[in-house]
Amino acid sequence: MAKQYDILFRILLLGDSGVGKTCMLRRFTDREFDTGHISTIGVDFKMKTLEIDGIKVRVQIWDTAGQERYQTITKQYYRRAQGIVFVYDITSESSFQHIVKWATDVDEYAPEKVQRILVGNKSDEEPRRRVTREEGSKLAERYGMDFFETSASTSHNIDKSFSRVTELVLQAHKRDVDNLLGSLDDYLNKAGLDESGQDKVGSIQRVCGCARIF
Amino acid sequence: AVQCDVLLDDVTESRLLGLVEAAKEHIFIYTHRRMAITADDVSLEDVIPIDLDFAVVESSPEELVLVADTRVRVSYKDESLELKLPFGSHSRRFLGEVIRAWSDERARSSGPAPTDESPVLAVPQLGLRDNLIRCELLKNEDLYIYREHFFFLGTYNVNGQTPKESLRPWLSCTPDPPDFQELDLSKEAFFFNDTPKEMEWTKAVSDALHPDAKYALQVKLVRLVGIMLLFYVKKEHAEFISDVEAESVGTGIMGRMQGNKGAVGVRFRFHNSDVCVVNCHLAAHVEEYERRNQDYKDICGRLQFRQADPARPPLTIMKHSVVFWIGDLNYRISDLDAADVKDLIGKKDFEMLHAYDQLKRQIEEEAVFVGFAEGEIDFQPTYKYDTGSDLWDTSEKCRVPAWCDRILWRGKDISQRHYRSHMTLKTSDHKPVSSLLVVGQIKRVNGDSYKKTLEEIVRNLDKMENECIPSVTLSKREFHFEEVKYMAHQARTLSIVNDGQVPCQFEFIRKPNEATYCKPWLTANPPKGFIAQASADVDLEVFVNRTTAPDLNSGKQEMEDILVLHLERGKDYFISVTGSYLPSCYGTPIRVLCRLREPIRDMPRESLRQMAEKPLDIPKELWMMVDHLFRNAIKQEDIFQQPGLRSEFAEIRDCLDTGAADSLGGNHSVAEALLLFLDALPEPVVPFAFYRQCLECCSDAVQCEKVVSALPQCHRNVFNYLAAFLRELLKNSASNRLDVTIVTIFASLLLRSPTKQDLAEKRKAREFFQHFL
Ligand SMILES: Nc1nc2c(ncn2[C@@H]2O[C@H](COP(=O)(O)OP(=O)(O)O)[C@@H](O)[C@H]2O)c(=O)[nH]1
Ligand SMILES: [Mg+2]
Repeated sequence: MAKQYDILFRILLLGDSGVGKTCMLRRFTDREFDTGHISTIGVDFKMKTLEIDGIKVRVQIWDTAGQERYQTITKQYYRRAQGIVFVYDITSESSFQHIVKWATDVDEYAPEKVQRILVGNKSDEEPRRRVTREEGSKLAERYGMDFFETSASTSHNIDKSFSRVTELVLQAHKRDVDNLLGSLDDYLNKAGLDESGQDKVGSIQRVCGCARIF
Repeated sequence: AVQCDVLLDDVTESRLLGLVEAAKEHIFIYTHRRMAITADDVSLEDVIPIDLDFAVVESSPEELVLVADTRVRVSYKDESLELKLPFGSHSRRFLGEVIRAWSDERARSSGPAPTDESPVLAVPQLGLRDNLIRCELLKNEDLYIYREHFFFLGTYNVNGQTPKESLRPWLSCTPDPPDFQELDLSKEAFFFNDTPKEMEWTKAVSDALHPDAKYALQVKLVRLVGIMLLFYVKKEHAEFISDVEAESVGTGIMGRMQGNKGAVGVRFRFHNSDVCVVNCHLAAHVEEYERRNQDYKDICGRLQFRQADPARPPLTIMKHSVVFWIGDLNYRISDLDAADVKDLIGKKDFEMLHAYDQLKRQIEEEAVFVGFAEGEIDFQPTYKYDTGSDLWDTSEKCRVPAWCDRILWRGKDISQRHYRSHMTLKTSDHKPVSSLLVVGQIKRVNGDSYKKTLEEIVRNLDKMENECIPSVTLSKREFHFEEVKYMAHQARTLSIVNDGQVPCQFEFIRKPNEATYCKPWLTANPPKGFIAQASADVDLEVFVNRTTAPDLNSGKQEMEDILVLHLERGKDYFISVTGSYLPSCYGTPIRVLCRLREPIRDMPRESLRQMAEKPLDIPKELWMMVDHLFRNAIKQEDIFQQPGLRSEFAEIRDCLDTGAADSLGGNHSVAEALLLFLDALPEPVVPFAFYRQCLECCSDAVQCEKVVSALPQCHRNVFNYLAAFLRELLKNSASNRLDVTIVTIFASLLLRSPTKQDLAEKRKAREFFQHFL
């Protein structure tokens, strides 16, 4: 059946400036990698369509400015996210230590149901590594998050980590999604069969009522 | 028409919208009662013509929603309406129509697309995505493998009988099992409603299907009394069948209600082809061939299949790329009597007989079945036999034999392997007919490459979509203003270059918990705008006035701000604006100034908030101005009446703030600078707390004195000092031509109301001050 509706989720990339958030996003959506670093000043986003468990999901991935001084503003964007990817750079000790701060901010500002994963980027830079895999995975465990080491440069684990966070979000919202898809199908079927427009308005509003859950 | 909500500021109201064509198309907006049922329930509120001044933009909801009501902004000239249409195909269809009318209108005018006036920010994507994917897939031929599929079609008018013999000779007559079997088992009977017989026939058919393959019954249709259509498909193909729909229509006047004549149809999608099978039973009797033609047309017009996607219009038979038409079409052999017909049949001269076959003739005249093909008939007529035998009808009617039972097809790449009757079956007065058709046009998808291509297409669409996100480059991300001084305007230009693929609308937006998009000492001009292609310049202007100066002087606030430049449907950019502000006596409280022995600009910022040992009697800046005037301007004509020079004000301010000892400037400029100084005081000379009291006792000189003596010391000093100065000036009114207006001016500066001062208050303030002159 041709479905004319999509499920849309918002996922936010968070982490210190320079850890590779923008590169990860570009790698994921455009399959490209730039070595230059133009620091993101503001919030940028890109769209990506994923299919998870046969459900077409469109994710809007937000890339934020990592600099300290913009943080009071960027925090306000946390509220709208269903998924968060914390990113540090495995060659930078401080970016790893700051994850604690990022996570605290998220606890304060993001919705309760928000799904989080931890990513150590630049896994291709083995010789310059400062944060071990174990340290990363331990921190993730402490927060109850999934953990990946990725490389925007080689693509390693990029698709996997984004798919995972989307999957988690989908699971977290499973009931809402089911309700929604279910009632939509009902609605579409009914709309096709009965010609009386009268009670349709009611059923549409019901559908949209649960659409606003997120 | 569609129901929608109109958003008016905070409230929403329900309206009905209609799209009406009258010379041009218009949207009619009706108000309505709760449930509009009759015309009396609605009344026309507004009409919006769809022409070049019209625009409709679908706006994406800011907040995330899974499935949103559709929000559109409809605008006409300067007016616009926000509408919220309920989710669903009905709204989509309505909007689709509006947009079609609108784009027709624009196409008609054929001028360049309207740019600046009608900000068409985005091509409305009304369910476009899925269609795009479909189109792209269709274009990609490499994805498909063509394979021939065998369709076995059979028609057998069983004449209301029960099955008495095996149907194998009919249904399993092919050496290989066909892929599909579509069977007509119609019965010649009015109000035939004998379900057990259906079951029996279905079972008989199932038992007789080709034994070398497994079939799944897809559809069994007995919609119209007497017409039964069975549709089997080999199990292995079943998963590729989708969108199965079935419909039926009756023909003839009464037929619509009760007929045994009419048609049933099944449609389905098999891989990439849409296949439709129609089984019909047309009007009987030799002379009724025109009625049969008419029945055919009726069926073509009325047999429509709804689509899974309700936004799409229903499919007619002819919309299918493969159509099979089977059944007792009832066309006869005419213009020959029974004996001649039987004679020709005896000689197997079927070719000769064809010339008398009504269907062949009608098709030749293009009166019926246009575009259909039928194979060569080289079997004898299948009607009418004595039941249980191969003998022609021996009843008294002694009907002329006829090829009533036929199989036709329509579509590319279809050929016939056989077309025959099955004489061994004797249950009915008809003989069954079958046709094996080979359909070559069905392309099946090559699973792996399909998946890859689909991913590719989706990725490209994502890419396109990402490219269509509005985007700009900013000439600068950080602005710093050096030496920002009180009442000195500075500006810098921010160039916003549209480097995206689409026009964009920008706006500086408020940050949460802030009342405006920027600090009060900053403005962006213009704060929002539209960039079609090139670029736009925004002036960032800094101006510190009496409202903003106090906190900047005291260092309570730094000159720092971050502007958030938001693109509609796009990203946000942060622009940082900073300034080095030079503190000034302007906007600094008397109390603080009295403690500054050094010029304010030389003081470390923190010290402005700390106590010094022994305060000055009055601020030295005030003394400098008054002293200057006292020495130079006591007899100056029109002093405090003539305005000063802007450039001189800047110099005077700098002298006061830096303590430069030079002469301050022209008398009029100094006079004005003095007034500005008083005006900029965060707490007036008579502090706000004393204001009411002063007005209340304004007629009583003694009381007034009392109030003044109660003022904080530095304020009292300033008050008395200024009063003394004014008395001096007024003594010389013969030369400086001062009159009472000076009293009013000073009174309004010394006694400022914490709120707005009305005329009566002004009068009282002057009366109060007058006691001291
Ligand atoms: N070796 C390596 N360098 C990376 C990787 N990802 C990003 N970089 C580099 O790190 C720098 C900062 O990347 P960027 O995406 O702008 O960081 P952001 O501030 O977090 O958005 C750039 O010079 C990138 O080339 C990676 O996976 N491996
Ligand atoms: Mg970045």
